[in-house]
Amino acid sequence: MATLNFPYKYGFHEKENYVFKSKRGLDEGVVKSISWHKQEPDWMLNFRLQALGLFRKKSLPVWGGDLTHIHFDDLYYYIKPTENKVSSWNDLPAEIKHTYDKIGIPEAEKKFLAGVSAQYESEVVYKSINQMLAKKGVIFLDMDSALRTYPDLVKQYFGTVVPSADNKFAALNSAVWSGGSFIYVPKGVRIELPLQAYFRINAASMGQFERTLIIADEGSYVHYVEGCTAPIYSTDSLHAAVVEIVVKKGARVRYTTIQNWSTNVYNLVTKRARAEEEAIMEWVDGNLGSKLTMKYPSVYLVGRKARGEVLSIAYAGPGQHQDAGGRILHVAPETSSRIISKSISRGGGRTSYRGLVQVHPGADHVKSKVVCDALLLDEASRSDTYPTMKIDQQGARVEHEATVSKIGDEQLFYLQSRGLTKSAAESMIVNGFIEPIVKELPLEYAVEMNRLIELQLEGSVG
Amino acid sequence: MLLTVSDLHVSVENKPILRGLSLRVKSGEVHAVMGPNGSGKSTLAYAFLGHPAYTSRGKIVLNKKDISHLSTEDRAKAGLFLALQSPIAIPGVTVTNLLRAALGDNKNPSHNPILARRFVGSLPVEEFMKAVKEYAKQLHIDESFLSRGIHDGFSGGEKKKIEMLQALVLKPKFAIFDEIDTGLDVDALRIVARGIGMLSQKGTGIIIITHYQRILKYLKPDVVHILVSGKIVKTGNAELAKKIEDNGYTQFSV
Repeated sequence: MATLNFPYKYGFHEKENYVFKSKRGLDEGVVKSISWHKQEPDWMLNFRLQALGLFRKKSLPVWGGDLTHIHFDDLYYYIKPTENKVSSWNDLPAEIKHTYDKIGIPEAEKKFLAGVSAQYESEVVYKSINQMLAKKGVIFLDMDSALRTYPDLVKQYFGTVVPSADNKFAALNSAVWSGGSFIYVPKGVRIELPLQAYFRINAASMGQFERTLIIADEGSYVHYVEGCTAPIYSTDSLHAAVVEIVVKKGARVRYTTIQNWSTNVYNLVTKRARAEEEAIMEWVDGNLGSKLTMKYPSVYLVGRKARGEVLSIAYAGPGQHQDAGGRILHVAPETSSRIISKSISRGGGRTSYRGLVQVHPGADHVKSKVVCDALLLDEASRSDTYPTMKIDQQGARVEHEATVSKIGDEQLFYLQSRGLTKSAAESMIVNGFIEPIVKELPLEYAVEMNRLIELQLEGSVG
Repeated sequence: MLLTVSDLHVSVENKPILRGLSLRVKSGEVHAVMGPNGSGKSTLAYAFLGHPAYTSRGKIVLNKKDISHLSTEDRAKAGLFLALQSPIAIPGVTVTNLLRAALGDNKNPSHNPILARRFVGSLPVEEFMKAVKEYAKQLHIDESFLSRGIHDGFSGGEKKKIEMLQALVLKPKFAIFDEIDTGLDVDALRIVARGIGMLSQKGTGIIIITHYQRILKYLKPDVVHILVSGKIVKTGNAELAKKIEDNGYTQFSV
């Protein structure tokens, strides 16, 4: 074991409040210390070490965004989250408080979003939701607790949808993951209330390398809402999460994300679901923040009549590059899919749609539709489309539509002639553009999403 | 209340279109500006609202306030309204949202954004919606159009009615209707004409810009102006429009 650079004076034994930070850079010692701190079973340690080897071997993707400025040796790979969090509302940067105020969200929620408070609602609400879930046999824990409490269940599925070898960042996550959510929904159980990370027992598990695993057993339904629409205060420069979802026969999972990382964050996330017979998987993915996002939620349709859907919104402002899209693999017959991507570029921002629709041999009667629309707010901005279709089965119905439009002067004039300011007119046009996806969001997210777009545009135009 | 235009010169890409036009419209009056193709009718409409592609010289004064140098949105806020000849589609933006934004902007009763969402101007949302639906009914607009992207896939007649609806809800001090009668069948024409009549009865000064006098059969103008080659060459009463119907514009050529 390499030397560990943690201050012993805080003590390992006082588990409640110790602070630990691994040294800069990544080696076996760091990985071992993470696993040791978490008191993980051997198989997980081995899983991590194996992934570390893969991470070292794998090269960076040569497509997508510019990754050359990530200095892996300068990063901290494990920070005990308590240190990462600001402990009081007053410690937050003014602009973040300002943003929360403008969005108009309640004080308690603001504090939660800022990572100041671990709980979104009152203790009572929190308990009653947990009781409701427990009664139905639903497991909803942070990933670390799940590994401790349900090691066999975790072991059975962990890394089966996104193997460590999938890509460099999946390997990295597999080596150093911490936090994330674990959800198990038993057969036939439908959870009508969207499950949100808000309600998780340990909010601290929002980290750089979260690992989320959702198992929806046969005929069940769950809608998981990840993250929040407000900027999460973070100085971290790399966010590499892995999300694995198993949607069993006849089950349905919807996974909604709205990320609004600060614009110094590389957001490189691998999200994938396996949908079995007659299962439905829906990704609703909004990317507003980050310096560079590379994220292509995927659905592997492995059972007959399974359905996959990706709804993606990307916004790129100055200095931002959103390389997003979706991947659908039609492995089984009679499977269907839909990818809808809406991107907005402003002030030199860049959006790319990158998508794959693949139909395997033998997967007959497949239907797929891809629609990607880009909206450019000015001449300096950029949008590209990289659609890939691999069709190895005759008779598949695969449609692709792409449009690029600019906010027209006549549209602006029209709205301004009704008394709207130029920025109000722009945000109205942008919100109209993304409306087909926003209406799929839970109401409070839709409202915040629209408000965030307005904030992004406010004062940005002359 | 008065809207006066004095010696208005407007050019597009350095090409002079309007060459010294003057008008004087009182609250509640209905004026018709008639002219042949290329006389500058639509230019006049755009110039009222200060479209950036049009360079203007001269004065537009609304209720004693010179608005000639104001931005488009400030002219709208001062009380001008323009119904465009072929309004552009804005996908995903409903007429209801647009009206809410237009009204809400002026007098927000609360600084709390959550509370503010329950009001449109000083009206509670429910009452605002009731009013919008009532006007829609009077204009024979199917309610489904209120929740669709404005003008997105609308027929010519639907577009004109939606423009009319906005005028009724916004109650401007002065409203300009550019070729409101084109592309309308007789029923729609009658409905729109009735809408303009309602508006003028409530005190809005009306300027109807048109090539034909079709709509004037259903709406009697107080004043008719003949616009030829960027100038008003003749002003008269409703009889003047009749003369156009009989003899065309050539009699007024300059």
